[in-house]
Amino acid sequence: MVKKLITQDTRMFLTGNEVIAYAANAAEAEFMYGYPITPQNEIMHTWCKLLPKTEAGFLQTEDEISAGFSTLGGILAGKRAFTATAGPGNVIMQDAQSMAEMMRLPFVCAVMQRGGPSTATVIYAQQETRLTCFGGNGEGFRIVYSTAGHQDLYDYMIKAFNTAWKYRFPTYMLADGYQGKMREPVTLYDPASRGISMVPTEAFLRAEGKIGVDRDATHLRNTFNLEEELMEHLDVYKEEYERISPEIEEYFEYKAEDAEVLVIAHGIVARSAVTAIDELRAKGIKAGLFRPITIRPLPVNPMRAAVKRAKQVLFTESANGQLAQMCLEKLYGLTTPYSTLFKMGVGVTGDDIVSKVEAMVKEPATV
Amino acid sequence: MARIKIALAGEGGHGVQSVAKILVEAGYEAGKQVLYIPNFGVEQRGGVSIAFCQIADEKIGEPRYSKADIVIMVSDRAIDRCSTYVDENTTVIYDSSVCTKKPEVKAKRIIPVNANEIANTNPELGARVFNIIILGVILEATKVLDVEDIKSAMEHALGKKFEAKPELRTKNHKALEVGMNLLKEAAV
Repeated sequence: MVKKLITQDTRMFLTGNEVIAYAANAAEAEFMYGYPITPQNEIMHTWCKLLPKTEAGFLQTEDEISAGFSTLGGILAGKRAFTATAGPGNVIMQDAQSMAEMMRLPFVCAVMQRGGPSTATVIYAQQETRLTCFGGNGEGFRIVYSTAGHQDLYDYMIKAFNTAWKYRFPTYMLADGYQGKMREPVTLYDPASRGISMVPTEAFLRAEGKIGVDRDATHLRNTFNLEEELMEHLDVYKEEYERISPEIEEYFEYKAEDAEVLVIAHGIVARSAVTAIDELRAKGIKAGLFRPITIRPLPVNPMRAAVKRAKQVLFTESANGQLAQMCLEKLYGLTTPYSTLFKMGVGVTGDDIVSKVEAMVKEPATV
Repeated sequence: MARIKIALAGEGGHGVQSVAKILVEAGYEAGKQVLYIPNFGVEQRGGVSIAFCQIADEKIGEPRYSKADIVIMVSDRAIDRCSTYVDENTTVIYDSSVCTKKPEVKAKRIIPVNANEIANTNPELGARVFNIIILGVILEATKVLDVEDIKSAMEHALGKKFEAKPELRTKNHKALEVGMNLLKEAAV
């Protein structure tokens, strides 16, 4: 049993990476596997620095392929294990992530997006949105929370473990280099003080009891003989994923009720949108925000309702429309025109959004 | 003060990020809302290194901004990369003893300081406290934090080094004071 460091509400001034390590400890995580890559290194640095006090475990592997699979090993042994990665690391960890999807393992990963493609920048991007949701050779039976600051990092890292162990789909906390590296105040707390209890973990392999007498055999498959055999399995996964989605979906609206221009953004860009919306409202422009917190599954019904109410929609992200593509598919049939503000691998500022929305008011979108 | 946006840029190894950390730590300790993002490349040294800092009375929304209130440039490449954060409301401060050119920007004010030269020629200082002189310049330029807040944040960051070598504390405090005076003189 690990020792929890945060027993009462504690206000701290931390980097996001530090917050994630504290959150994992608060969630009673027992083991982290990882391989260094900027901008997420300080998650493992902090986790390791705290080890003498937490009595948890850490293994630095030879690369992200190994980090992903050893995380699965820890989980198979019944440990509340996790990993963290970014950029090219996220790419090469997809094999293990696909296996987690196939074997329904409660894999938990913090993704701190950096610029892409390839090595690109170590700084920031939202270019791993599609990769994190749909990477690997599969269907994207994954749950992805997109955070917008340090309090989110703490809240959703804790939640990611419970979602993963409750529903047995790989669960991600998708953040970025800004959130990882930036420092801002945050309140750390013991989850129990918020009425959150951690879903118990159990061993998949070498579980207690005699097979056939005390329990059924654990039969986890990631290979199938026949096409139909595979589809039978995946049909069950799909049905389950769709059934639980409404319980998992989360979103945040800001002045969206009467918004004429609705900004759709996720993660840290949504925070810039809030700054912009206040400025636009002061100028008499009715702007609002719809921020999907779960970007997989997307909160489709509330998003459709918000889009339907608005006169125009603006998609903005630090990528070339990765979220927009995912949303547009779900908005099929609606006729609200939209415009876009995409900055590939670059932060979107409040000013950027203000100028864009003002331009849209002058000359409405036609698409 | 609703919100003050500061961009501090130099070469990797200049200590730009160290100074920014002390600045925001002081802001946090003083009960302000603060947000700091470091921005640098894959190099250990060299390359442009930028610190985006915000200090505010109310909760900060956008983590990155388009235009800063104060931009400090301590290398030629910093001038090239950071002119984009300058508009007619920005105060630009650059180190004329490091940069070989002047920032060609439309700004509220453009102030040259010679922090690097002073660090290297003043016998009480030294090249290693160059960044602390710059911190003094920022402190005087922003006027949102008290010098005592900065000193206590310096203890937080450098306390162990100060314990081992008390003369370092004196040197750093001196550098801070020199930096503050430098701007006062330049601003006249």
